[in-house]
Amino acid sequence: MNATTPATSPLYPVFAALSSSLSVAEDIFYKIPGSQVVARYVKSSHRNDPGRTALELILVVFAIWTLMKSRTRKDGQGKHFISFNEKEIDDLVADWTPEPLGKPLSEFEKHDLAAVPIIQGPNGPRPKLASNGKTVLNLASFNFTGLAGNENIKERAIETLRKYGLGSCGPPGFYGTVDVHMDFERDVADFLGTEAAILYSQGFSTVSSVIPAFCKRGDIIVADRSVNFAIQKGIQISRSTVRWYDHNDMNSLQEVLESVDKERKKRGGPLTRRFIVTEGIFEQDGKMSDLPKLIELKLKYKYRLLLDESFSFGTVGRTGRGLTELYNVPAAQVDMLCGNVSIGLASGGGFCAGSSVVVEHQRINGTSFVFSASMPPLLAVSASEGIAILRAQPSILATLQENVRAIHTVLAPVTGTLVTIPSHAASPVIHIHIKPQATSALAPGAAALIKHSKSNPASVRLPVDPLKGVDMEAEEKLLQEIVEECLNNGVWVTRAKRLRGQELVEPRASIRLSVTAALSRKETEKAAGVLKAAITKVLGKRR
Amino acid sequence: MPSSAASYLSALSKADAQARRSHNSTPPGTPALSMSSSITAESELEDPFSLANDTDSTDLMRPRTAPTSEQVFTTVHAEFGHCANQDYRYTSEHGPDDDLSHVDVEPPYYILLSTYASYLLLIVMGHLRDFVGKRFRPAAYKDLKATNGYAPLSSDFDSFYIRRLKLRINDCFSQPITGVAGRTVTILDRTTQNYNATQELTGTTTRTLNISSYNYLGFGQARGGCADAVEACLQRYGVSTLGARLEGGTSDLHVLAEALVARFVGAEAAVISSMGYATNSTFIPALVGKGCLVISDELNHASIRIGVRYSGASVRMFKHNDMHALEALLREVVSQGQPKTHRHWKKILVIVEGLYSMEGTMVDLPGILALKKQYKFNLFVDEAHSIGAIGPHGRGVCDYFGIDPREVDILMGTFTKSFGAAGGYVAGSTALIDCLRVHGHSGPYAEAMAPPVLAQVVSSMASIMGVAPAHTSTSTLQPAHREPHPAAAPASALPAWMALPPAQRDGSEGHERLRRLAFNSRYMARALKKLGFITYGHPSSPIVPLLIFNPGKLPLFHRLMKDRATPIVVVVVSYPATPLVSGRVRFCLSAAHTKDDIDTVLGACDEIGDLLDLKHGVGERWPLEEIMERSVELVHMDVHE
Ligand SMILES: Cc1ncc(COP(=O)(O)O)c(C=O)c1O
Repeated sequence: MNATTPATSPLYPVFAALSSSLSVAEDIFYKIPGSQVVARYVKSSHRNDPGRTALELILVVFAIWTLMKSRTRKDGQGKHFISFNEKEIDDLVADWTPEPLGKPLSEFEKHDLAAVPIIQGPNGPRPKLASNGKTVLNLASFNFTGLAGNENIKERAIETLRKYGLGSCGPPGFYGTVDVHMDFERDVADFLGTEAAILYSQGFSTVSSVIPAFCKRGDIIVADRSVNFAIQKGIQISRSTVRWYDHNDMNSLQEVLESVDKERKKRGGPLTRRFIVTEGIFEQDGKMSDLPKLIELKLKYKYRLLLDESFSFGTVGRTGRGLTELYNVPAAQVDMLCGNVSIGLASGGGFCAGSSVVVEHQRINGTSFVFSASMPPLLAVSASEGIAILRAQPSILATLQENVRAIHTVLAPVTGTLVTIPSHAASPVIHIHIKPQATSALAPGAAALIKHSKSNPASVRLPVDPLKGVDMEAEEKLLQEIVEECLNNGVWVTRAKRLRGQELVEPRASIRLSVTAALSRKETEKAAGVLKAAITKVLGKRR
Repeated sequence: MPSSAASYLSALSKADAQARRSHNSTPPGTPALSMSSSITAESELEDPFSLANDTDSTDLMRPRTAPTSEQVFTTVHAEFGHCANQDYRYTSEHGPDDDLSHVDVEPPYYILLSTYASYLLLIVMGHLRDFVGKRFRPAAYKDLKATNGYAPLSSDFDSFYIRRLKLRINDCFSQPITGVAGRTVTILDRTTQNYNATQELTGTTTRTLNISSYNYLGFGQARGGCADAVEACLQRYGVSTLGARLEGGTSDLHVLAEALVARFVGAEAAVISSMGYATNSTFIPALVGKGCLVISDELNHASIRIGVRYSGASVRMFKHNDMHALEALLREVVSQGQPKTHRHWKKILVIVEGLYSMEGTMVDLPGILALKKQYKFNLFVDEAHSIGAIGPHGRGVCDYFGIDPREVDILMGTFTKSFGAAGGYVAGSTALIDCLRVHGHSGPYAEAMAPPVLAQVVSSMASIMGVAPAHTSTSTLQPAHREPHPAAAPASALPAWMALPPAQRDGSEGHERLRRLAFNSRYMARALKKLGFITYGHPSSPIVPLLIFNPGKLPLFHRLMKDRATPIVVVVVSYPATPLVSGRVRFCLSAAHTKDDIDTVLGACDEIGDLLDLKHGVGERWPLEEIMERSVELVHMDVHE
């Protein structure tokens, strides 16, 4: 007892100082504007309902606890951790046998890989195959406006090589920004009519980088169910909240936008970024977006529109500017307009055009832009030259459209009976599906069936799977038979190759034609004729 | 700390004066053409227009020591320096007691403190300016605020670092250039009227010494055998093969190049992708998926991280190049299995890089392979920076350590660096590569590599390997049985139309490049240490980071180097690419540099290092003259730190 008395007396001044400083702190606290409100809130809530104070306290403690917990889980020492001694670990290590690293290919996959035609020499409208040295008419490769093999482009590429070498030897941030890259960016922005553009070094890696550069956790993406694989990957990595609308269905889009809007109004919360993500011409089936309607909806609901024009830039519109030209919509109304230079301009890379804010943001946040070497300068110059050619010769696009029409005309007798063509009539990318036999589960009424059950925007899958019962591999095999039959008759077409099992929604198996202005109308008709005969031969015998 | 404008100016004038002095003391630049049989004086080969605007280019355009009559150089000095002295060569090879661990050298305490203080100051000032700016200049902040019902594209919190820290030194980044990024590079001069908010091109250009590009073997050239091969290829093939590899875009050149790559790295097969980044991001998902675990070095490149995220596999990271940490982690993950269920992992893939691009550290491959035997994981080595640049035959880290490349499951690499091309490859067993062709994202969806790029890859690779005289029986592209590795390429592995000059065909030029790079790398790393700097990395690494620490000194270092009489462009990197305190300048050596070039850089570093108080390394120091004098000795010395 006695021992404590001397201890308390030296502590006394400490207590005194503490309490005085506390009162000073209180004074200061009350001087802070707004502090009265907080104090009054705490007091009143306590007086009204002491239980509530307790509850709030518990909530605070819980919040701290979850924070701590999530930190420890990162260390792998969560409550599921089992401790073993060294001997046990050694045994477990000895027991473990990993699966082989690569999945062995199936017989069909092996055959399919071996059947990919190899071109001997340059590719173009009439390439030579390495396997038999024969020349074929090419409806498989992306040469829509016939820029492949253009002598002007070659000449400019060689000039560029002689000044710049081949590789850029650096990422754009570190001496990899070459003047010709900036020239191309200006050219494509001028061509489309946007403020600026940014050049990525691979088409496929463009949109998958653009999406996560803008869309973050908590943001909302409203996307078409059948967007291409690159978009799917971009969305996956963005960690945003995704709502899906039915493929190319503007009513469904509007419903989804409406429901998101309602949800937000109900829940309140801060304003988040919202994006509509879709394609110009769809990679999966060649359908075309209704751009004016998209713009109308995006403006109405205040979304930003990310439009992937991979298959529409350089393929449609009077001079190949894409959907914006086709529908006469100012490109500046599309917030992020992505294009694929390797598809649209027969060169390499991809771009995203938009306002300068949008573009500059990507120069810092676009991962595949920042963390990769810039594109070889001669590819950028070839692309610029391609734009110049398209600008100067609108007749190319007219020829292309003629050839597209020619194909549809030649295939008309089998369309609807043996095959179906989902693609838009003006699309130079033409997908051909096998028309399901009457006995197949995919009755023609499947689409109607979908209409009856309400689509669920939170899930990529439709409530009624239109592909249920379709034997995808059997379809692929039939289509491959058609492809090989065509090849034997001097026409090269290809199935649209896919990563089965990895796409969010399995696309139908299809043959994809890439029409080109470099073939004459006659040649195109001839090629389509061979295809028609092959279709009849392969599918006709099924009956 | 001389960070005021006045001291900056005084430093500039000092540097200038120094450079002028040294300029006068060297023999005046008599045109090399008149003195030797050199066929490549720039007047003959260099495009006149690329020289038109160059200011004070004499220092860089001509070798300091004029060549003698028997020396014949086949390169443009500005692209690939003329250096005939065979003493300035070295072999990149693992010594028995090379240290592979990565040690963070700590600077003196006051440097650390001032670095933290600088960041604190920058952050406080930034917030203060935001606070004031938002109230008095709202127009400048409109892109950060919700307008008209649209949330801002980036919030002011997310973009704070970029607006308030990076913007101040934006003149150090994204410098546009023209021409070849070879030994020298021509930059487009920029100015700013608004404190870097925008930078305008002035229309003038400056020829600078380039110690920044990933041009390790100097194949980034507009002249020479490779460029000739690319031109021939462009004539023949055009610029594109118009499609994805599995659809309409595979040409004979792809098949041939893939077989050559497989030979080069010593694997059964290889697949090529048109972008290095995409090589990782599109092929890793075909290797692992749900239920698999990726163990990744903490400093792995962004493309690897993205690839792993695409794959859906779980990820764990281990301390950079630390074998003990890796083993501890392996023991934990194998014994624990998958989280919650404790089911066995389907596969465990360890992903490391051969040479780390920010640290210059070399992977401890022998250590990892020892662990691999015990723990049975699969190994993926990203050789983006090491392939071509490391090893006595330039075949990457396996070559460097004398390890059979087939002990590594997947060898990945890029062509952007040593080969002066673009794109990347993955090599491994035939079954595995076929799986990647079919199940990787690239095969069906991504554009195939362009023919001119393939020509650059094939020609540069063949000149490193050398081409064996035509054989009678080698008609198959794929080696049927195990051939000796590393060996020369059979003549049949090259396209018939590709005519390489004799020095490239017999491999002598490639050999010379490898040995020059090895000397240059080692000389630079060791010389900087002897000057008293703190550097990171392996002595054989062509990447040499020099630690600067303070964020204020980074731009100053950059500007002082660039504003010298012989301008030098450097790469400065800081947070978030590096830890907060270890801002650094990263030198990338090249076979294209001459010893004189490195001396020039060392001289500049020495001066600026004194000026900015950067010399905090431990160990013996030599004066600059002694280092330059005893360079060969320095490179060959056994150094035990
Ligand atoms: C380790 C690593 N992997 C991949 C890449 C990407 O290569 P590329 O620039 O060819 O796209 C890089 C480039 O910086 C790298 O350092």
